[in-house]
Amino acid sequence: MNNEIRTHHPDGQGELMAHAVDACVHCGFCLPACPTYALLGEEMDSPRGRIVLMKEVLEGALPLFEATPYLDRCLGCVGCVTACPSGVPYGELITSFRGWSEPQRQRPLLQKVTRAAVLTLLPRPGLFRAGASVGRFAKPLSPLLPQALRAPLDLLPRTLEPAQPLPALTPAEGVRRGRVALLSGCAQQVLTPNFNSATVRVLSRNGRDVVVPPTQGCCGAAAMHTGARPLALQQARRNLNVFEETQVDAVVSNAAGCGAGLKEYPMLLAGEGEADENRARALAAQVQDISEYLGKLLEQGELEPFLPTSRPLKVAYHDACHLAHAQGIRSAPRALLRAIPGVTVLEVPQGDLCCGSAGTYNLEQPDLAGQLGDLKARNVMATGAEYVVSGNVGCHTQLQSHLTRLGSPIRVLHTVELLDMAYRGQL
Amino acid sequence: MSTRAGSKAPSAPPVFSLAAELTRLLGPRKVLSNLSERLNYRYDAIAFGETPLCVVLPDSTADVVIAVKAARAAGMPIVGRGAASGLSGGAAPTEPGLVISFTRMTQLSIDPVLREAIAQAGVITLSVTEAAKPFGLIYPPDPASFRTSTIGGNLAENAGGPLCFKYGVTGDYVQGLEFVDADGEVHSLTRDAYDLAGLLIGSEGTLGLITQATLRLTTPPQFTRTLMAHFAEVGQCAEAVSAAIAAGAVPSKLEFMDRACTNAIEDYLHLGLPREAEALLLVDTDGNDLETVEEERALVEAACRNAGGTVRRAESDAEAAQLWQARRSVSPALGRIRPQRMNEDIVVPRSVLPEVVREIRALGDASGLHLVQFGHIGDGNLHPNILFDPRTESLEAVHELAHEVARVAIRHGGVLSGEHGIGSMKLAFMREAVDAGTLAALWRVKHALDPHGALNPGKVLPAEEA
Repeated sequence: MNNEIRTHHPDGQGELMAHAVDACVHCGFCLPACPTYALLGEEMDSPRGRIVLMKEVLEGALPLFEATPYLDRCLGCVGCVTACPSGVPYGELITSFRGWSEPQRQRPLLQKVTRAAVLTLLPRPGLFRAGASVGRFAKPLSPLLPQALRAPLDLLPRTLEPAQPLPALTPAEGVRRGRVALLSGCAQQVLTPNFNSATVRVLSRNGRDVVVPPTQGCCGAAAMHTGARPLALQQARRNLNVFEETQVDAVVSNAAGCGAGLKEYPMLLAGEGEADENRARALAAQVQDISEYLGKLLEQGELEPFLPTSRPLKVAYHDACHLAHAQGIRSAPRALLRAIPGVTVLEVPQGDLCCGSAGTYNLEQPDLAGQLGDLKARNVMATGAEYVVSGNVGCHTQLQSHLTRLGSPIRVLHTVELLDMAYRGQL
Repeated sequence: MSTRAGSKAPSAPPVFSLAAELTRLLGPRKVLSNLSERLNYRYDAIAFGETPLCVVLPDSTADVVIAVKAARAAGMPIVGRGAASGLSGGAAPTEPGLVISFTRMTQLSIDPVLREAIAQAGVITLSVTEAAKPFGLIYPPDPASFRTSTIGGNLAENAGGPLCFKYGVTGDYVQGLEFVDADGEVHSLTRDAYDLAGLLIGSEGTLGLITQATLRLTTPPQFTRTLMAHFAEVGQCAEAVSAAIAAGAVPSKLEFMDRACTNAIEDYLHLGLPREAEALLLVDTDGNDLETVEEERALVEAACRNAGGTVRRAESDAEAAQLWQARRSVSPALGRIRPQRMNEDIVVPRSVLPEVVREIRALGDASGLHLVQFGHIGDGNLHPNILFDPRTESLEAVHELAHEVARVAIRHGGVLSGEHGIGSMKLAFMREAVDAGTLAALWRVKHALDPHGALNPGKVLPAEEA
């Protein structure tokens, strides 16, 4: 798409956005891949429409406030990136645009407060745990509260699992075949502590020393994707320092959103100087999702074999957007699940469509997120599976919440939890 | 969201009154009048047009009638719009007015006994086949954008697709139409005399607004076989196609793409396509008798080898599906080469295909611009595309080259549009393609059905000579 963005924004972020708009041929192949277009049927709520709106704003032809309702409704699921034949890096465009536009926005006070609360609590597991504990008791009050406060309460589980602190180093079982670092994630340490424990056990069983640097912090994805670029930059720089010192073969993530976040550091640090840009690229090249890492071992015949299940088991695999669309990882997790003797992997109808969780989206756009969560849960139920697994804590919470609401007995697990259970003969 | 109210008051009074009147009549959910909304209804997949003054998203034919009558009363032009995946500027307004977007008119029902689908204009093309499949039926027309495009848009442009070589284009599947005329009256048409439905199909919204269609469904073939051949030169590919058809093969799909297209697709899908080949041919043969289907494939294979090609058979349905996804992605994937393009949709007699593709290749090579070719080569429908960057390359040179390509088609007894329509993109070449007497007759048809010139003005027909 022809544009004059570079003239108006002659910096690193401007170049990134101009490049993305250049690549769009407005063919409309993205429309059926977009969850909000599916729900609303309006061009402004499609990727193509949003690209036009961003272009118009960046060129000064449209006031920002006219475009924000539609841009805010974008989940950032980047399903459109998979569907786009001309290679538009839509994720980079919307992320950079949000970073550029946020300082100019006037938000209502309640929105300001909840945004700040989310971005403060989320990266701090200790605070988040305290907040979540208090929040549980406020759950019954939820119907009386404004939407902005109701949404997070509705998503909180009724009971919190006890914390599972991780050792800074877990040695390899048997012969040592490698050394990896684990990005421990933020919300999942509180909401689903077994994700990390299972990951460490599975890696260790496969001969890996697992380092969990205690000084690591939030990956910055939540800040980056909601336009809080200064905070995201600060968080990224901290992690660059921490992970550069670990001397590992790979930095492993078990949260699709966080892994994608680390892989996006080169985009986040674009325009921050060559040294930082190079460091970002070097770290991003080291980052692997847990299913990507184990999938390679499986492919090379180096993965420790799983114990068979005690009976035939149907497992539905849910593609987390930030795994399938943002990182292009689809076949590895399925191959790993199929490698468990006795497991049949089932596909979820409309599997490409986001579940509506999308980082902080279900807090900011609870109506649309709820509709998408309901649709996803019904599609999962239609598979007839006993378990549904995915590679992201956001999807996990969303699936859990909507399946419970619909009275479904389907168990929701992380892919690596199921692999861990298979190793321990618990299936 | 506090922003909706911000730009409610556009400057020109008639705009305000039309949007206000339509909002009063239809309710706010169906009427868009903010700038951010209207900006998004001014383009299709090739061109940007004028920003509409107001957009209506009807749920029903009754809504369309209300919108048309209100626009007529306000003296506004009316442009119908489906998913805007068209490639001729058909849905991009040439002047400010009302856009009616059919994307919410998505009712669809299947009658398995009559083997018919009744589809509102906004039904997604692919969903017709998906809904018909449980009854053992399919809807064959398969434009590359069929996951996005709407039945209304397909009818307006008389869209084709790979399957159309054997099975026919959109218009061949229409049993009946409902449309709203320029005065807001609703009509139901069958294919009897006069075949007014036939006239509306492919009329690009210039004669009426199609709101619903009754579509013929067929049974799918039991067997399909797929092959890919590649060639060191584009003309060889065209020779293979002519020879295969002359030998009696009737493949269901015969598609060609040149080297630049193959490379753009490879960058997107990473399928291991031969990047060095100058031309790639994808072929399906199908039918209910496996022996015949395989014989036909063998005929095509032999023709490809004789022309100097290298042949590979798809070993599985999954491999075949990937190859066809590759073909469907060609057009948008070209955006990887240059940000803008001028595309063509010529159709030439099959007998002259080798000369035509060679002449067009030579024009491209001589021009210094990026010219690529692909298309439904089985029925002589080619899409030469000129890819350019308007910041660094001359628009005049691009138009001149496009004109030269159109002249090649006309010189060889061809026509300008096989399936995309004329829209605004090919308007400039119409006087060379259609003689003055015929153009005058077409104008008389236009005046009869759209006496005020309100329906999609500036499309299909070049301005009348005084």
